[in-house]
Amino acid sequence: MPRTVIIDLSSHREILWAAEETAGAIRADQLIVASGAYERSVPFPGWTLPGVMTAGGAQRLIKTLQVRPGRRALITGTGPLLLVVANQLRAVGTEVVAVLEAGRHPRWPQFLVKARGEWGLLKDAFEYWRGLRRAGIPLRFNHTVFEAHGASAVEAVTYGPVDPATWTPIRSQAEQVEVDLLVVGFGLVPNVELTTLGGCDHRYALELGGWVPERDACMETSIPGLFAVGDGAGIRGAAVASLEGRVAGITAAEHAGLLPRAEADRRRAPFLARLESLLRVRAVLDGMSRIRPGLSELATPGTIVCRCEEVALGEVQMALAAGARDLQAVKLLTRLGMGPCQGRNCAPAMRSYLSHATGRTAAEVGRINPRPPVKPVRLGALARMTRAMPADDPFQATIREALS
Amino acid sequence: MTRASEIVVVGGGVIGCAVAYYAAKRGLRVTLIDQPRRGRATSASAGGLWPLGESIGLGCGVIFYKAQLEQGKVAEAGGPSQLPRAFLDFALQSKALFPTLAGELRETGGLDIELERTSLLFVMYDEADEAFARPLWQNCPCGRSLTEWVTPEELGRTEPAVTRAARGALRFNGDDQLNPYRLADAFRASARTLGAKLLPHTEVRNICVAKGRVIAVETAAQRIPCDAMVNAAGAWAPEIGRMAGIDIPVLPVRGQIVATETLPEVLSACISTTDCYLAQKRHGEIIIGSTTEETGFDVGVTPRALKALTAGAIRAIPFLEQVNVKRAWAGLRPGTPDELPILGPVEGVASYYNACGHFRTGILNAPLTGVLLSELLSGAPLSFPLEPFLLSRFGAHRDTGASRVGRAR
Ligand SMILES: Cc1cc2nc3c(=O)[nH]c(=O)nc-3n(C[C@H](O)[C@H](O)[C@H](O)COP(=O)(O)OP(=O)(O)OC[C@H]3O[C@@H](n4cnc5c(N)ncnc54)[C@H](O)[C@@H]3O)c2cc1C
Ligand SMILES: Cc1cc2nc3c(=O)[nH]c(=O)nc-3n(C[C@H](O)[C@H](O)[C@H](O)COP(=O)(O)OP(=O)(O)OC[C@H]3O[C@@H](n4cnc5c(N)ncnc54)[C@H](O)[C@@H]3O)c2cc1C
Repeated sequence: MPRTVIIDLSSHREILWAAEETAGAIRADQLIVASGAYERSVPFPGWTLPGVMTAGGAQRLIKTLQVRPGRRALITGTGPLLLVVANQLRAVGTEVVAVLEAGRHPRWPQFLVKARGEWGLLKDAFEYWRGLRRAGIPLRFNHTVFEAHGASAVEAVTYGPVDPATWTPIRSQAEQVEVDLLVVGFGLVPNVELTTLGGCDHRYALELGGWVPERDACMETSIPGLFAVGDGAGIRGAAVASLEGRVAGITAAEHAGLLPRAEADRRRAPFLARLESLLRVRAVLDGMSRIRPGLSELATPGTIVCRCEEVALGEVQMALAAGARDLQAVKLLTRLGMGPCQGRNCAPAMRSYLSHATGRTAAEVGRINPRPPVKPVRLGALARMTRAMPADDPFQATIREALS
Repeated sequence: MTRASEIVVVGGGVIGCAVAYYAAKRGLRVTLIDQPRRGRATSASAGGLWPLGESIGLGCGVIFYKAQLEQGKVAEAGGPSQLPRAFLDFALQSKALFPTLAGELRETGGLDIELERTSLLFVMYDEADEAFARPLWQNCPCGRSLTEWVTPEELGRTEPAVTRAARGALRFNGDDQLNPYRLADAFRASARTLGAKLLPHTEVRNICVAKGRVIAVETAAQRIPCDAMVNAAGAWAPEIGRMAGIDIPVLPVRGQIVATETLPEVLSACISTTDCYLAQKRHGEIIIGSTTEETGFDVGVTPRALKALTAGAIRAIPFLEQVNVKRAWAGLRPGTPDELPILGPVEGVASYYNACGHFRTGILNAPLTGVLLSELLSGAPLSFPLEPFLLSRFGAHRDTGASRVGRAR
């Protein structure tokens, strides 16, 4: 069902879908959620200025819209995506003054031992790095943005080193550079709204990007028949995502009685083995760009932290002073996260901030509970809801063919 | 009655917060204990203050009645049930407290409860609606002074967003609205300023009764000795009651509700129809409520309710068709068999007090509930007679089975 979004998932595996003109419900016996991730926002003074954009936003401009996002760019954040974007920007003629990686320089020997057998995963990263080298773009580790300046758009950026262990900005060594584009990429946050609404148990795993559903080896969540795979179950990249999808698909078919147990085991085995090998390498990569608490110190009281409701950090500090100790309480006092994005953008950063400020764990600081609809839908579409599928169901036949 | 010095309030919804506020204002030492549960009513509420509308069955009442009628569960022509005079008087008196209260809470707690004068319009679509509304207008228990018959032309002028297909409306002046979470927050913050102790995220696990009186309330971490305790645990009041050996006939009644994205100001009044009610809040979203369902503690939203509420909203305000839904959610009203709250002392367990069962109108009735409880706790004369609201009206209250909600008449 293209151009169709899922807006709710109930704990008995009933999904509510919506399209432009109509909506409907489907009760599934086996349901696989592969909802992907969204980009993590890190608020700092000036981050809402035009000319400051996310890595994904810059990629979309270049790839889909074929637009050059700026003349002179600084790239900041963490993770290999920064290198990818640097090369893409250079290819469309943008001057990249530097890439600031908040994480530390990789310790290659230790790293290469762990990566044994999974060169593929690293080859691309090496290529990108080589590209950067050739173009003379400096890659500065343990550095990050402090502030973006400009009247109506970004004109200059202050940046500097961070403490290697905590990523706390070292402001005394700040530098400034004139740019008209600041690309920010602090990694991804799993999109767990559907698994949360579906009643699955979740745990907080910083190295996987935040809250993730609990799963068994075959990707089944705590709700029988409900599977979660890919970035939506923890940020581990495209290769892992597609393997997890295969394992979940085979297992769902087994549960549905389409594959005997032994056959399912036989089909799953190679994918599970490959996953295990990949995850060893990922663990190292993830450790390097795991987000650190010092980033919380970038925002000042005047910095907007919730863009939808225009809540500034100062208001969150007032809520803390009034006794708020978790995200839910801050939400009720400030409207943080009450806008259309439901806290998707502000909650991860504010979770770090609150846990930094109160000394409580991220898990204790809690979450902003998602509510349906998790994607935009018009009242008109809901009012025209039907029980039927929009077209004839082409899935059943295809699935049987694929499995035979 | 002697003045109780240490008071524990169990449950920090709007009712518990109101009790804590008024008790602290009287100089009593109060501890407010709350463990947020999914579906707690106050954060789900629409924030309508509709003493007239609610007491004659508008708001959720008429929606529920129509749904029952369609399912053949009630006989034709009765109309939604009207609540007894005592309810209306209670609600009117509580409503009258708001203007002063708003100022007090702003001063003491620093929070604005976003109280707005809106009036409530019952928008009529057909003869049946008119037949229902006309006698309400002619014999309104509050007298004619607060109601007003609005012609289609007048309706088009004052509420241009409302459908032209409407046959006019019945207006209730004095039925207004506010921001319900702000009300609870403001009560809580003000209570704190006045010296109340707050134990958020703390579950009450046990109530110690000795020689027929409550002597302490226990959480996982501590035992809090007290001279009196108030059960303000909303839909969970029976759980707390049982800890003190008291059977409380409160049942969770789910209400599903939808909010639109932020819109420019398009509604000046709150709207009630036979399909739904609509209220535009200070921040611009329009709240569309609500269902009345006995589905236990399930707080999911259902496709059926989303369809009914959105279709009903579009029927009333056609341009909403093109508007995005921001959020849909459900809350659990603390329902009682006669739809009246359960307030005050219980025979046989001294120093235990109820402040629960506020069903559809806990926001509206929070101030007077708080006032009455604070008077009971400090032994002051009561501002409103308590008899219609005592638990004893249901007869035996120890070890009876909980009865169904709202169908006792
Ligand atoms: C900006 C960006 C750049 C990246 N660059 C690289 C790269 O260069 N190399 C690399 O290896 N990896 C890269 N990745 C990571 C890679 O894209 C992911 O690891 C991989 O796509 C994960 O696959 P997935 O199927 O789990 O999620 P996705 O590919 O994200 O797919 C999730 C899908 O679910 C849809 N969806 C979500 N919610 C709903 C809903 N409620 N209703 C309907 N549909 C919904 C989304 O629209 C999306 O189509 C990048 C990721 C991002 C965000
Ligand atoms: C959809 C909907 C719309 C509504 N609209 C309106 C309206 O427009 N106007 C109006 O006046 N009313 C309205 N109501 C009704 C109103 O919301 C309720 O009557 C009112 O909020 C009840 O408040 P409460 O404090 O009794 O319950 P709650 O708000 O549910 O508070 C009870 C608290 O006790 C806590 N608790 C439970 N067990 C324990 C324990 N063991 N230990 C510690 N804490 C515990 C709960 O977690 C909760 O925080 C609406 C209700 C719903 C659901």
